[in-house]
Amino acid sequence: MTPLAAIAAEHGLARVGVRPDLAEYVRQVWRRRHFAVALASSKAYSRNQGSYLGQAWAVLTPILWAAVYLVVFGVVLSTDRGVANFAGFLVIGVFLYHFSASSIQNGSKAITGNRELIGSLSFPRALLPIATVLADLLTLLPALLVLLFLVPLTGEPLQASWLLLAPAVALQWVFGTGLAFLLARAVADVRDLARLVPFVLRVAMYTSGVFFSISHYVDDPTIANVLQHQPIAIYLELGRAALLSGVETSVGTWLWALGWAVAAVLVGFVYFWRGEERYARG
Amino acid sequence: MPGAERPSLVVDDVHVQYVTYGGRRNARLRKHVGAVDVVKAVRGVSFVASHGESIGLIGHNGSGKSTLLRAIAGALPVSQGAIWADGDAALLGVNAALMRDLSGDRNIQLGGLALGLTPAQVAERYDEVVDFAGIGDFVHLPMRTYSSGMSARLRFAISSAARPDILMIDEALATGDADFKQRSQARIDELVEHSATVLLVSHSMSTIRSMCDRVLWLDHGRLVADGPTAEVLEEYSERTGLPTARPTRRPQEVAP
Repeated sequence: MTPLAAIAAEHGLARVGVRPDLAEYVRQVWRRRHFAVALASSKAYSRNQGSYLGQAWAVLTPILWAAVYLVVFGVVLSTDRGVANFAGFLVIGVFLYHFSASSIQNGSKAITGNRELIGSLSFPRALLPIATVLADLLTLLPALLVLLFLVPLTGEPLQASWLLLAPAVALQWVFGTGLAFLLARAVADVRDLARLVPFVLRVAMYTSGVFFSISHYVDDPTIANVLQHQPIAIYLELGRAALLSGVETSVGTWLWALGWAVAAVLVGFVYFWRGEERYARG
Repeated sequence: MPGAERPSLVVDDVHVQYVTYGGRRNARLRKHVGAVDVVKAVRGVSFVASHGESIGLIGHNGSGKSTLLRAIAGALPVSQGAIWADGDAALLGVNAALMRDLSGDRNIQLGGLALGLTPAQVAERYDEVVDFAGIGDFVHLPMRTYSSGMSARLRFAISSAARPDILMIDEALATGDADFKQRSQARIDELVEHSATVLLVSHSMSTIRSMCDRVLWLDHGRLVADGPTAEVLEEYSERTGLPTARPTRRPQEVAP
């Protein structure tokens, strides 16, 4: 022990910049939870603030997206692709896919995109991926409201199963946070990985059944089986089953949804925590 | 050793280096691909600071002053050595954690929470922060509409309202007007009286003289001198040939 270390020990000073153990880290994250919530709501808010219509865009943006997809797929390409309520199927799919896609995209930049914040304040860095995905959830909420108005227009009855949309989205959110932990650290370690994210997202879009029903389009039973258990496809199925009377789901799918969420958040959090000391300026 | 009586901060042989992307100093090598470089900003600095002490950091641009403060705040990892601190450290930099697209009131909330205040404490100190910053109605406008002096005042008001045990100020007072300088000086004295430790980076030697009891002089990441303000500034002036302002009276003697 150096003489200075002895002075520090004698006066009970705490070491700065070392990674706390996992339990202490979780406690620190919990103590600063209000910061994560404030940061998330600020991020979600500032996305729309730089225009005349301001926060009205939170609702207008999803309406316009829904209109674009309905015109392109419902009128121009005019196909139902083997789905009963294709309009409802499509809009739910697009909105929920977009939620996961933005968790992945923004989550991967949660460390590298917040260098100012990291460089000036000390707080558990796990709050950044958490706040980023929470901001995406807050952006999704007005879109879900739009969805609840649009879906009855496509002829769907109001049902008790609509309530299941809340736990389905909650699991998808937890899953997205887990992915954000994994990607935020991976990109902080190797920047170039950020360049691969758009390609991964494109693959995810085409293999999650956003625009079509996987069981209807994929002939090979093994591939269909794998694609149907892919996490984003699982969350899309739960969302659609909650709102559309023509889509059925099973307890098995809910268990898959839970499993993916828990696995992603546990693995992601531990992986992220192990890199805590290294999220430096660069 | 100065400051060993009731230490609040121990910095032991600290080295800080960081990786930069996008360019290399040896530009003939790998300029377009693999343009990654390692900057050794702080190379073996040791000192002990105690409660109720205000310390100035001086040195040329790029001497490692800001990097050292970031490491003390826990915002940059040390590559060698160790730092120990008593309580919370808050760093107030020229580019502190405020979001330009958000209004001043949202930034007050965000900044307070980031510094570890509870939502109730933020609400309680809100008026005090707005008054101290003296930004009036602008508190409802986005911070990108603020003048540099206004945003510096708001940043200072937020960080000092959190009443941290160690307050670090990185050139943040440079843009304020005379009236604000006086008020911030009073606020720093008040914090020091309540046994906080203040570390101040400034290129204004008159600011250093009026606010600091002790000065650390950094040069190329190494500590050149550490001692009472007048002595270190005199040595600095002799060795660099730069003016260090005339010795001024202590703040309490300054007429209002």
